Amino acid sequence: MPYGALEEIIVLDLSDRLAASFCAKTLGLYGCEVIKVEPLSGDPLRRWTNSNPDNQSGDSPLFLHLNAGKKSITLNLDEAKGQNILAALMKVCDVVVETQRPGHLDKIGLAYNQIKKSNPSVIFTSITPYGQTGPYKDFHYDELTLFAMTGAMYREGLPEREPLRYSGEIAQYFAGNAAAAATTAALFKRTLTGQGDWLDISIQECMAGHPHQIGRRAPFIYAGEPDPRSQPRTSASGAREPYAVGTFQCKDGYFSFLPLGPRMWPNIAKMIDREDLLVDPKYDDTVKRSQNREELEAIFQAWVDDKTREEIFQAVQAAGVPGSPILQPEEVHKNEQFQERGFFQNVGHPNGQTLRMTGDPFRFSNAPTSSIKAAPKLGQNTNEVLTKLLELSDDQIEILAMEKII
Amino acid sequence: MKSEVSQPLSSIRALELSEIWAGPFCGCLLGDMGAEVIKIESIQRIGRGPITPPPNAGGYPDDDPGKEPWNRQSNFNAINRNKKSLTLDLKTPQGLTSFKDLVSQSDVVFCNYARTVMENFGLSYEQVRKIKPDIIYMLMPGYGNDGPYANYRSMGMAIDAITGHSFLRGYPDLNHSSNSLVHHPDAVAATNGVMALTSALVYRAKTGKGQFIDLSQAESFMTHLGEIYLENQMTSSIRKRRGNRHPDFAPQGVYKCSGDDNWIAISIKTEKEWCELKTIVGDDSLGETGLDSLEGRLKNHDHLDNVINKWASTRDRYDALTLLQAAGITSGVVIDCGADSYADPHLNERDFFQIVDHPAAGLYPMTGPIFKFESDHGRVTHNPAPCLGQDNESILEELLGYSRETINKFKTDEIIGTVPLPGSDMGGSRRVAKQKEENSKD
Repeated sequence: MPYGALEEIIVLDLSDRLAASFCAKTLGLYGCEVIKVEPLSGDPLRRWTNSNPDNQSGDSPLFLHLNAGKKSITLNLDEAKGQNILAALMKVCDVVVETQRPGHLDKIGLAYNQIKKSNPSVIFTSITPYGQTGPYKDFHYDELTLFAMTGAMYREGLPEREPLRYSGEIAQYFAGNAAAAATTAALFKRTLTGQGDWLDISIQECMAGHPHQIGRRAPFIYAGEPDPRSQPRTSASGAREPYAVGTFQCKDGYFSFLPLGPRMWPNIAKMIDREDLLVDPKYDDTVKRSQNREELEAIFQAWVDDKTREEIFQAVQAAGVPGSPILQPEEVHKNEQFQERGFFQNVGHPNGQTLRMTGDPFRFSNAPTSSIKAAPKLGQNTNEVLTKLLELSDDQIEILAMEKII
Repeated sequence: MKSEVSQPLSSIRALELSEIWAGPFCGCLLGDMGAEVIKIESIQRIGRGPITPPPNAGGYPDDDPGKEPWNRQSNFNAINRNKKSLTLDLKTPQGLTSFKDLVSQSDVVFCNYARTVMENFGLSYEQVRKIKPDIIYMLMPGYGNDGPYANYRSMGMAIDAITGHSFLRGYPDLNHSSNSLVHHPDAVAATNGVMALTSALVYRAKTGKGQFIDLSQAESFMTHLGEIYLENQMTSSIRKRRGNRHPDFAPQGVYKCSGDDNWIAISIKTEKEWCELKTIVGDDSLGETGLDSLEGRLKNHDHLDNVINKWASTRDRYDALTLLQAAGITSGVVIDCGADSYADPHLNERDFFQIVDHPAAGLYPMTGPIFKFESDHGRVTHNPAPCLGQDNESILEELLGYSRETINKFKTDEIIGTVPLPGSDMGGSRRVAKQKEENSKD
């Protein structure tokens, strides 16, 4: 349920990659009117994994998710006429989210410094893999190669194997989310001063400046500590109670635990019904528990073995030990917490399908609400937007269509 | 509200009640954009590591915790830049009154402690808005503020598990017990927190209305996995673990270069990239026509990996990167968060690291802000993380107008302070600490 905190803000979404598209979507979720500008052939993300016949619109799940609630116009930016229309739209909008190669918009006269002359309060949010400057600014990228360049990958995985990326498209989503937050901060300043701004967001820097990368970089620079890949039980976050940390196989799946240091030992012993271990001299301090970790791990695994994820979840909550079941995506849909909060929402697509979409990351007590809308069909709103924002006549629009500008 | 407006949020004062990652990173980003962020701490309970770290604890400058380990702890100092620190014992009437006085001059209050902590202090949204009707107040518990899990404890790794992200990551040939714990959802809660607070600020500027914000860390992260849930609904296929591969591209992977634990990531997405890679790698077996289709390459992915690994094994990772990028091939080196990132020419040219002089920890290049605003003209504000209670007196005296006498009494009564009380690092209250002291005397 979008919360209209940012109503009356018009966002021009020039994205053709994930981070910028998610940035614009997030702004839309909080009330902005987001106009997606696509080439006549459509956003390449419409054709992504699983854009298959099961799916009536033909659009990929990724596209449908990233563009829910947006409007779509088509515009041929290879032609001067198309560029002129974009310039006219930039002059009347509040925010431009773009992901062009650094320098490209300057060449066609549509960069921030050119547009701000006629629209001084416009906010340009440029989201690129490596930012607008520096030796890597033109590097080719995708989630895998960019994730490698952030520091997040190096420690992920087993020491004897290759480093691993996260699943999904995590780095790009994270940068898009951060960019939306920074854009909204710029919007706040604009409401006070009328001044626009240009944001240079580098996806690499967002992930490299992420709390967990900072949290590894600081011990290195303070004391030279390296942070190599390590076995899951002996990782930095697990080493304090190394027999009950990480992911364990249980009766119906997997469960992840993270005890927070020695003060959790009594909670754990009680939880697994082995308070006798508390007085066993083999285990009565952290050092000995670490030395005898394999025996303790076997005891812990035996407790886990004949329990379901739900039984363990109840037990960890009662014992105050942090932990959660690993759910499969279809189980997430059915989870009682997300159901009860109505997180997933049914959205009718123009083609007649009902899609279950993710809802709001946060909720406001005191703002107008509306319902989530589906992603647009290609060019669905071209006429409406050109009429409303640029006051073009039906005849003018028809000519542009004939000239293959729209 | 403060008066000058230079950075995006420089007119804003925010009160942070948080520890670990999610809340502190949220405050960090607000501070980076100019907000005055006051971190509310206490000498009764600190979140800055142990008061007396065990030997080889790690994480302190030159491996020396020094006399004030709580001011030298690396993780704390890294993530609390651009903030002030005020200690208040919120369990006392004086501490509570001071907090309320501060609320009356603030715009934002946010908390990532367990959901009931603020309520237990008598500082629920309903109570706080009586002091400041247009306050923007955010709680950010793991699963949100209602529903059956409302009071469940959670951390980043728990969110990673319950959202399905853990299920989908890891080596496809091993089971999930080999997975490391990933805490990424903490950071997502932080960026969404900033999104929530800034959009509420825009709304308040237009309407004069404040806001209670209910942020679920789980639901925040789930918006980053939306296509996976949708794919599950729309198609009959269930997504399997992919490791470093992707069903639309091949070959794709991370390959070992010369040296110790040096790797290059390569991703072939187009036919042009495939042709260039064939030329660069120069192995005859890549010339088979069956490999010119994505389908053929996906089928023979293990063989392609072997050939590319062999090629990479004799090459320096940065030389390989230069060669591949020059040919237009999507690629990247795997850098660590230590020496590699500090040596990275690109991050350095963009001033990603800032030399920071911390009064208790010393002079070090620290990770800087991630946003670049043109209106800042390339200047980045990077004040060091505050020492415990560093701003007690200036806030109470200058902002709240308390007398020297009152402030001195606050010190004597341990309402404020700059040295944590014994036992305050145990996650318990001072009462627990006193109990321990007494026990040790027996």
